[in-house]
Amino acid sequence: MRNWRSIRILAGVLGIAMILSACGGKDESSSTMDVAAAPTYKDTLNIAITAQPPTLDGALTSSEVSLTISGNLFEQLYTMNMDYEPTPELAESYTVSDDGLVYTFNLRQGVKFHNGKLMTADDVVSSMNRWLEVSSRGKSLLGGSVFEKVDDFTVTMTVPEPTSDVLTIISTRTFFPVIMPKEVIEAATPEGVQEYIGTGPYKFQEWKQDQYIHLVKYDDYTMIDSKPSAYSGRKEAATPNLYFYVVSDHSTRIAGVKTGEYDVCESVPLENYEDLMNDQNVTLYSQPSGSMNAFLNIKEGVLSDVKMRQAILAALNMDEIMLASFSDKELFTLAPGYMNVNQPQWAVNSGAEYYNQKNPDKAKKLASEAGYTGETIKLLTTPDYQEMYTATLVVQEQLRQAGFTAEVLSLDFPSFMKARVDFSQWDLFITSNGYQIIPPMHLVLNPTWAGFDVPEVATAVAAMRGAADNETARKAWSDLQQFMYEFGSSTAIGHYNDAMATSSNVSNFVFFDLPIYWNAVVSE
Amino acid sequence: MIVYISKRLLSLIPVLFVVSIVIFLIVHITPGSPAATLLGMEATPEEIEILNDQMGFNRPIHIQYFSWVSNVLKGDLGDSIFMKQPVSVAIKEHFPPTLSLAILAQIIAVFIAIPFGILAAHKRGTVFDSTLMILALLGMAIPGFLLGLFLMLIFSVQLGWLPVAGYRSLDMGIWTHLRYMILPALSLGMVQAALITRMTRSSMLDVLYNNFIKTARAKGLKEQIVLLKHALKNAGLPILTVLGQSFGTLVTGAVVVESLFNIPGMGQLVLNSITRRDIAVIQGVVLFITLIYVAVNLIVDLMYGLIDPRVRLDRK
Repeated sequence: MRNWRSIRILAGVLGIAMILSACGGKDESSSTMDVAAAPTYKDTLNIAITAQPPTLDGALTSSEVSLTISGNLFEQLYTMNMDYEPTPELAESYTVSDDGLVYTFNLRQGVKFHNGKLMTADDVVSSMNRWLEVSSRGKSLLGGSVFEKVDDFTVTMTVPEPTSDVLTIISTRTFFPVIMPKEVIEAATPEGVQEYIGTGPYKFQEWKQDQYIHLVKYDDYTMIDSKPSAYSGRKEAATPNLYFYVVSDHSTRIAGVKTGEYDVCESVPLENYEDLMNDQNVTLYSQPSGSMNAFLNIKEGVLSDVKMRQAILAALNMDEIMLASFSDKELFTLAPGYMNVNQPQWAVNSGAEYYNQKNPDKAKKLASEAGYTGETIKLLTTPDYQEMYTATLVVQEQLRQAGFTAEVLSLDFPSFMKARVDFSQWDLFITSNGYQIIPPMHLVLNPTWAGFDVPEVATAVAAMRGAADNETARKAWSDLQQFMYEFGSSTAIGHYNDAMATSSNVSNFVFFDLPIYWNAVVSE
Repeated sequence: MIVYISKRLLSLIPVLFVVSIVIFLIVHITPGSPAATLLGMEATPEEIEILNDQMGFNRPIHIQYFSWVSNVLKGDLGDSIFMKQPVSVAIKEHFPPTLSLAILAQIIAVFIAIPFGILAAHKRGTVFDSTLMILALLGMAIPGFLLGLFLMLIFSVQLGWLPVAGYRSLDMGIWTHLRYMILPALSLGMVQAALITRMTRSSMLDVLYNNFIKTARAKGLKEQIVLLKHALKNAGLPILTVLGQSFGTLVTGAVVVESLFNIPGMGQLVLNSITRRDIAVIQGVVLFITLIYVAVNLIVDLMYGLIDPRVRLDRK
């Protein structure tokens, strides 16, 4: 009898749930555009992102989630097409002086900012000079350069020395050199600009902290009428509203895209990949997006001896590390290069003899030659990035099997970043690093990232950047990669894919290096 | 009564003072800085130092503390670096979802726990009692987020009756609000219900074998009146204490369930601020949570007097 009562209570709860679900009806996302012809599309694209971006000011951050969102608001002088070639966006064309020091950009006319103001050379000069000043990539690769106004629609950029990659650098998405109105740049504080006003197909509408960021179609957007190709070409703002919901819990994002609560789920966790692959209502996108690398401490401690570093490289089995970290062979590739495996210009295999050696005996021999007597090798990691943490545990086990004493020091991400710059705290750490457009931008060459500040790097980078043609530049990079493996400053472990999911009624969505939403539509 | 309340409020001052020092020290001793998080993984140490300098985090710690405390005394909890808004505004925005969730969860817990607790005590030793106690034990053992995941899978993914996650404020209509809140409230409420059921049962058992209950039955009173009027009222104090604690926990600690159901409440605010090292927010929120805890305890203490006339707060 009592059991019946509890069943009745449960039935009551379920009943209420049904009524609520019926009463709630469709939410705001399901209203349709007033288009006479079929098919009809929703006026809102709901996108589940993993974390709230620290800022939408692209000059200040390399956060992918920031760049994904701000890419809809802002545009650059030049941007990248599908083949990673610089393509005009806010500039129409450029010329270079014979000595390679002065670049003259002719700006597009009639482009309006989201506040209605016409874009002119003053805005470009302010924006680009601020970018050169605050962006770490701007400073390190184009330091000493300056933008100047020639007339209202012409600017020049003067660089201190001729290099072959100037246009590529200002076309990149990582450390996004975007054009904003001069007044916005002048009002910026060290924490960033106060308003998000760009020239992109969407304008900023609302940022509800820790909930969502809402962008709306910019009606006065001046479109380039050419075939869309990655970040370049036609941008239609095909769905008038973009909502980026902050959904940090993986299971919630996955459940959301399965039920249609979200149209897009960014960053699909590896364990859900197969499940979503078999789901008819979901489309999966996956592409190589970065390399996981191990950095060895060349400055202090037990690995400051090059022979010890070679011993470590001999001990590593990359198949095991990548499989443990990314769980499915479809989601990674093994290659000794640090650059994008799909980018023919820079994907080189030099140093292959030092990569994935799986040779504990050789490791033992090298360690013994180096006089190793069981000192602890400290492996620094953070559980906040699961793949980095798992890889570190596997490396620990492989080192143990090769006769080393290895200890894992696991800290939360901010503490990890702090410990990383103190060379007494670690001997090896592993990070996943997103692909860069050109090798000098890669963290494996950055002297402050893991202390790789040997003179050979600066010489090789100068040779690469000053090369007369692509083939010479490629050769210089290949030689440098070989040197890095011989020196044992770091090793690529493997290349990982990023996966995203959309509901199957989303079309025209492109997953290039970052997701591209401006032409995407969701059918009813 | 007024004297008692004043005394309790005065005793808040040292509590808040100690909490402020402890939280300030913990936050500042923890490695990592807001600048490092703001600038991303690829920032150089120099860039991080420069931004820390500009934001004032490189000043001596006692100067930072006194500047913060003097601002707090003026009613200014500081500004969030990430949210670009005053901490008080962040709290004001994040508190309503949590409060609404806590109230709903508490209602669910009370409506399940009190009747079942009373019945279990009344039917002590029967199959009903044992089954209920096993269920209560299970309820206490299952973490709220696991229950939440099950509920989400059944009601949202499989049946499609309720939204998976998210939050809609009361302004958007009570039904819309409830549709989004019911699953998280259930997952929190069921766990609290398990705890309160056990407490209600044991408090009732303490009372049910007293002489005044026998007298009440001997007078020929209906069993319902004996249970609800005589027994429950006398068993009320421990139950009220648990209810108070449980409400305090719900208001301040629903971090995982809020994260699972993507509710922008206080739990999420604390968690995100810690990850981002958003120092002003962590400090402000902890102070606010301390206040809430003290307030809930004060209300519970005041209610003792209402439920049990033998409790006279003024004489303490």
